[in-house]
Amino acid sequence: MSDSVANPIIQRELVGLVTSRRALGVQIALAATFVGLVMLRWPTDARVGLSGARSFDVFRVFGYGLLTSLLLFVPAFPAASIVKERNKGTLALLFNSPLSPLAIYIGKFIGVFTFVSMLLILSLPAVAACYAMGGIGLWSEIGRLYLVLLAMLAQYVAVGLWISARTGSPDAAMRITYLTIVGLAAVTLIPNLFYQGQTGLIATLCDWVRCVSPIAAVMEILGHGSVGSQGLIGDGTIAYRFLLLSPILTLFFAATTISRLNYRIFDRSRSQGRITDDQSTSVKVARGMFYLVDPQRRKAGIGLINPVFVKEFRTRRFGRMHWILRLVSLCAVVSVLLAFVTTVQSEVWGARTIGGIMVLLQLLLVLLLVPSTSAGLIATERESGGWVLLQMTPLSSLRIVSGKLWSAIVTVGAVLLGTLPGYLVLIWINPDLEYEVRQVLISLGFAAILAVTVSAFVSSLFRRTAAATATAYGVLIAIFIGTLLVWLGRDAPFGFATVRAALIINPVAAAMAEMKVAGFEPYDLVPIAWWVSGGLSLACLVGLAVRIAQISRPS
Amino acid sequence: MSGEAVIEIENLTKRYGEFVALQSLSLTVERGRILGLIGPNGAGKTTTIKILVGLSRPTSGVARIAGADCTNDVRKIKRLVGYMPDKFGSYENMRVREYLDFFGAAFGIRRSARNKRIDEVLEITDSTYMQDRYVESLSHGMQQRVGIARTLLHDPEVLIFDEPANGLDPKARVEMRELLLRLAGMGKTLIVTSHILPELARICDRVAILSGGGLRAAGTLAEIMKTVTQARLLEIQLNSADQVDAAAAILGEFAGPGSEVVRSESERTVQVRTSRREDEWHELASKLIGAGVRFSQLREIQTDLEDAYLSVTEPSSKADAKRSVTHV
Repeated sequence: MSDSVANPIIQRELVGLVTSRRALGVQIALAATFVGLVMLRWPTDARVGLSGARSFDVFRVFGYGLLTSLLLFVPAFPAASIVKERNKGTLALLFNSPLSPLAIYIGKFIGVFTFVSMLLILSLPAVAACYAMGGIGLWSEIGRLYLVLLAMLAQYVAVGLWISARTGSPDAAMRITYLTIVGLAAVTLIPNLFYQGQTGLIATLCDWVRCVSPIAAVMEILGHGSVGSQGLIGDGTIAYRFLLLSPILTLFFAATTISRLNYRIFDRSRSQGRITDDQSTSVKVARGMFYLVDPQRRKAGIGLINPVFVKEFRTRRFGRMHWILRLVSLCAVVSVLLAFVTTVQSEVWGARTIGGIMVLLQLLLVLLLVPSTSAGLIATERESGGWVLLQMTPLSSLRIVSGKLWSAIVTVGAVLLGTLPGYLVLIWINPDLEYEVRQVLISLGFAAILAVTVSAFVSSLFRRTAAATATAYGVLIAIFIGTLLVWLGRDAPFGFATVRAALIINPVAAAMAEMKVAGFEPYDLVPIAWWVSGGLSLACLVGLAVRIAQISRPS
Repeated sequence: MSGEAVIEIENLTKRYGEFVALQSLSLTVERGRILGLIGPNGAGKTTTIKILVGLSRPTSGVARIAGADCTNDVRKIKRLVGYMPDKFGSYENMRVREYLDFFGAAFGIRRSARNKRIDEVLEITDSTYMQDRYVESLSHGMQQRVGIARTLLHDPEVLIFDEPANGLDPKARVEMRELLLRLAGMGKTLIVTSHILPELARICDRVAILSGGGLRAAGTLAEIMKTVTQARLLEIQLNSADQVDAAAAILGEFAGPGSEVVRSESERTVQVRTSRREDEWHELASKLIGAGVRFSQLREIQTDLEDAYLSVTEPSSKADAKRSVTHV
């Protein structure tokens, strides 16, 4: 450890992070959030609840808010750490210094981890206020919550650095880190939904996979069982199992990152631009069988269609045509599999529950896909210098932006359409659901448009794709997941009106309510949620238009 | 070449609040000519270029390209000008041919004509061999060629290149120079900025030296030399460093009061800038010999573009410091 203390990278990373404007913004936002969360549920009358139920309500809101805030902000800090240094050339300088790869890694890890832990420390006054109200155990609740969150921070810093050492640009690192963390925190909960309460190897495995997610651990500590537990009583070991698995994953990611910190990180030759058209017939046939759209084929010239629309499909880092087709196929397969599960387990689950799971999967798709395709629409052009070149063409700003927006909408739309077969099977099983499915699809359409317009507007505010991507993820997670967290606190601590007000801005919640998913039945969100998300989308479009006018104007 | 002015700049001024980026700049460039814009950072080169291509509005003054006002006829300007900024503007996962195809489509060139035009511009820039490479994987020199190919797609009359030779290796610089001359030979009018002065000295018909937002000198290379070098630079190469002081005193007396005598003991040379005529130089030689100063050469140092540039953009002391000599 003494070696780590003397490590110059720790100081540089930590001082660099702490003195950045982004860090100041995050710290202020978090401190305000924590205070706000506690004040929101702080008792206003003079009575004392001896049962401690009231203080536990406050603690629950605080706990979920803390988890969500950390999930929103933490990935942004480690993700760019290594790739940025590599691209700026300073990583090569570090390799040429006497510092070993281990020392470089420890310096970066401790620097970033210390900073994100400081964000956790900001919450201590708020949690102290909860504790002072009584009814909350120092170890059983507060201690376990903070231990889980610390383990989560260490793990996600390790994940961020692991991805940073394997990507080519800061924004790609940012995007993949957010995707991975959404996967680790949310997708890991899904398999257990199908097997909970059952026995056997697969059920046990799914139960353990769930414990990779800090959400399940925090829910257990806050007395909510687990996601979709449907009243089943848990064994109370999720948090402990998370505390066992998390350090193992942290060590795995750390070890594989350290093994990457050597000359190989730079050892990439320039692409020679191999093209399928110039290959032998056998190669052409083989690639033809493997690819529906071969990315290495010489493409035809752009036709009468908006050239920016075509360019977006050809150039963006995530969402090129061959990947979209793969994703659409995967969505179709998953949705049909879900429908199959419905037919097999309809007595246990019910078509509506499966419908709800499908909506959640689509929400995840929107959250994963949209910032990747839309947050760089304007920011990437400005960062690469492409915006000036586009301005020098006769294309109007309207045509440029509409080409970009349509490319994002078509991509998200195609992927969402890929999930339609599952809904069709649902209607086939239960024809009474046709109306609900139609309402759900309209709600999801609004969700997709809202996500695209918000991300595009955010993109126009930044000059760097990485910053735009991180912000877009943050805003979308706040809209789509944050409001669902309020729903999790329905009845206690939040009342019906508060939950409904929060859900109104979330068209995915409207879809769940239309599908009559358990817990959403009391909320009548259509058409008001459509109006709200439509209005928000329109506001974002107006904001985008204003920003485009500003950045296109001659200086 | 016709004498028709394609680019006309009249009293162009650009202010950002109190800061004057460009002060009453007036210039003309004739068709098929290459104008070199030289100046240190912040001299106003990029501001001038941005106004010419419609990316910036002047505070006052007028700039016209082929009769089109650069402020009010921006649509026309986009057709008339091919602009290559100092930043390449690369897209990921895009091959050179697709890159050119995209910009060709953006300029509204029909697909059949576009394919032919892409072949032409690739040939002009000697880039055909790299048409299947990804643009982001190209070397800097290759990217510059592709950037020029992009500016040629819509066959503009005027080409404006911001630092095209910046960061190129010597071989690539020679190739770039040849390419620019080839473009001028095709009848294109070029404005090229550079801080690599020998590049401009070799290819430009006219040179404009900017400094602090103002035009310090403009004209052909010969005209600029004449303007900035009223005084000629004489140098004496001594046989021994011991005689540097004696020679410096004689040269100072010869050049007259207020003259700057620059001496270098390590190189055994003494220099003086003088306006005295060539037929008076024998007096100097006689005085030196009379004083027992032994020297091997008495010669005039030719002023090149770099010296001219330094003489108008920097104080003399700074310029001399670059020559590593001391003042007497």
